[in-house]
Amino acid sequence: MRAWDKLSLRARLGLLYTVLLVFSVVLVGCYSYWNIWQLFISNKSSQLRARAKPIIEHWLIDNDLANSDNPHLKLNPQKAFILARDLTSRDTVAIVLNQKGDIIANGKRLPEEPEAPTPDKHYLRRALAGENEVTYRSQVNGKPVLVLLIPLRPQPASPRIFGVIQMSTLLTDIREILFHHGAMLVSLVAIILILGIGTGFWLIGASLKDLQVLLVSCDQISKGNLSQRVSVKNHRDEISRLAVSFNRMIEKLEATFASQQRFVANAAHELMTPLTGLRGSLEVLLRGAQDDPSAMARLSKGMYREVNRLIRLCEQLLGLSQLESSSNVNKQPIVLSEFFNEFKADAQVLAGGRSLTIQQGPCVKVSADPDLLKQILLNLLSNALRYSPSETPVVIGWKLVVGEVEIWVSDQGQGMDAETLSHAFEPFYQGKNTVVSGDKGIGLGLSLAKSMVEAQGGMIRIESEPGKGTTVSFTLPLK
Amino acid sequence: MSTDKNDNKIKILVIEDDPVITEFLCTGLRYEGYEVTPRTTGKAGLDALQQATFDLIILDVMLPDIDGFEVCQHIRNHASNIPILMLTVKKAISDRVRGLDSGADDYMTKPFSFDELLARIRALLRRSGRIHESKRLQAGAIVLDLQTREVTKDGKKINLTPTEFGLLELFMRHPHRVFTRETLLNRVLGYDYDGGTNIIDVHISHLRSKLGDRPPRLIRTIYAVGYAFYPEETST
Repeated sequence: MRAWDKLSLRARLGLLYTVLLVFSVVLVGCYSYWNIWQLFISNKSSQLRARAKPIIEHWLIDNDLANSDNPHLKLNPQKAFILARDLTSRDTVAIVLNQKGDIIANGKRLPEEPEAPTPDKHYLRRALAGENEVTYRSQVNGKPVLVLLIPLRPQPASPRIFGVIQMSTLLTDIREILFHHGAMLVSLVAIILILGIGTGFWLIGASLKDLQVLLVSCDQISKGNLSQRVSVKNHRDEISRLAVSFNRMIEKLEATFASQQRFVANAAHELMTPLTGLRGSLEVLLRGAQDDPSAMARLSKGMYREVNRLIRLCEQLLGLSQLESSSNVNKQPIVLSEFFNEFKADAQVLAGGRSLTIQQGPCVKVSADPDLLKQILLNLLSNALRYSPSETPVVIGWKLVVGEVEIWVSDQGQGMDAETLSHAFEPFYQGKNTVVSGDKGIGLGLSLAKSMVEAQGGMIRIESEPGKGTTVSFTLPLK
Repeated sequence: MSTDKNDNKIKILVIEDDPVITEFLCTGLRYEGYEVTPRTTGKAGLDALQQATFDLIILDVMLPDIDGFEVCQHIRNHASNIPILMLTVKKAISDRVRGLDSGADDYMTKPFSFDELLARIRALLRRSGRIHESKRLQAGAIVLDLQTREVTKDGKKINLTPTEFGLLELFMRHPHRVFTRETLLNRVLGYDYDGGTNIIDVHISHLRSKLGDRPPRLIRTIYAVGYAFYPEETST
């Protein structure tokens, strides 16, 4: 079984096919050989019987035996000899046996006429019992003969039997014919097998060729060439379907890789801007601006801001990468009204002097990670504060929807146009909106919020109308 | 700042939305003697161009309202040949090509070195004929050739080390300006030089002796601050 496992699929299929082909062709060959042999024998025996029938009838009439009612009729050896002699020819010899099975006449006279085989007791008994068509094969001096036993009756339908004629004929000619036929059959089988196995292997190879192509492509893809695709012509068989779904899988992989690369490029890009500010400010300070206290103060403040921005960016990137594994989500039951009572203090710090309302919703318990929930809300809140004028209020609240709780953060700021809205959750995407109050964001807030909501089994959506404001809502499962 | 002096100054328009980058550009460029006008949006930048003339524009590609490329094209469409230096984070070649195609004269990717930015600004101004930087600096009997890096006093050649040459060049470019030892160290020996400022005193004393500088000195020690260069008034 180990050797079988080591074989290639093509070799295995080929071997299986060969075994089946050899088996079926040999079976058909043997059957046809046997069939022809039977045909020849039955032909020969009926030929002999046809020849014997008129001769026997004539003999019966000639010897007044046809109408004899004598139950104790004994065959006269002379008369029997005439019959045997009549029935004997170059290839056939007849002997006549009496009711007891003793030979009373043998038709062989000339040396070229064949020997008669010794009568077989078993078959003879059957013939004497009234069986008309006793035929069997025997051997005389190593040569095959066909033996026919014909019961002698006064009338064809008479139950009375006064003897048996044994006719035997040599089968050497049939054997010779059959030998030629067999040789022909064997060579035909050989040709069929050679052609069959050849085309079989070729067909198997051809149908497995696509598999080979698939294998080579897989190999190349595993070496990192993700733009590679498998090209298959036929789109019906399993291999082609496999190739098609394989291509689809690679396409998805490639897209994921590309988005990953884009993400890294964007992250590096985002790092570059604060680094430019830092480097430039430091250079200007070192070139001599450090001697001027007011320039020093302005530049250091800017540098401090840039460093903070870098830290924020790194924190958010870290947050995104941690969310990739769900083990970092620590879900526990949270009573929302209690949570928001605590959250209010943090939110108020972020909002500064701005109007912030938390609308208490129904008293429910959700299943969520309190740290993540806080981060989501702070993210959404800082977005709302950033993109709305300082005199407008920001409102946070929650309500029950089917089987879930929906929490929303709503502002009355500038809103987003359809294009910005469609990209809102993409990392590093920043719309054309200008920041109304405070620092410019990094562009990770919403995508981070989305990841955090999804890590807790919720959904996030955003509704916005230019000029009227934006509402971001997310769901959390009820406890 | 006296107004009559401003007329001779090179005027630079900075269109950049990042406040920190704008801040250091303005401070640094003003220290180099340029007059800087900062604008945070493309539209404001174009408006500023209508109201005043500038010698050079530093333009960020990522602007909140109009794309930097568009601003550039807009300026060029109004047949202005004012030199434009583009700043961007994108490093892709296609972006560089696009920047130059839209009419920018030069292109720098963030984060850039401020020294390189100054060098490029000078090159752009020279090319556009807005400044004629002479290849020699002269202060009294001292002549400093920037190309051959040779210094002569009364026609006689003085051999200076690269550090001494750098110090003299800095002093001659900014006469009367007081430099702290720290600044001199950074400017001449590089920002990442990690030694005490006393080394500057050593270099200054070598330079003085090579120049035959006797009181009242050309290179004067400003007590508790640093050094400043006072060239001999050749005439008047």
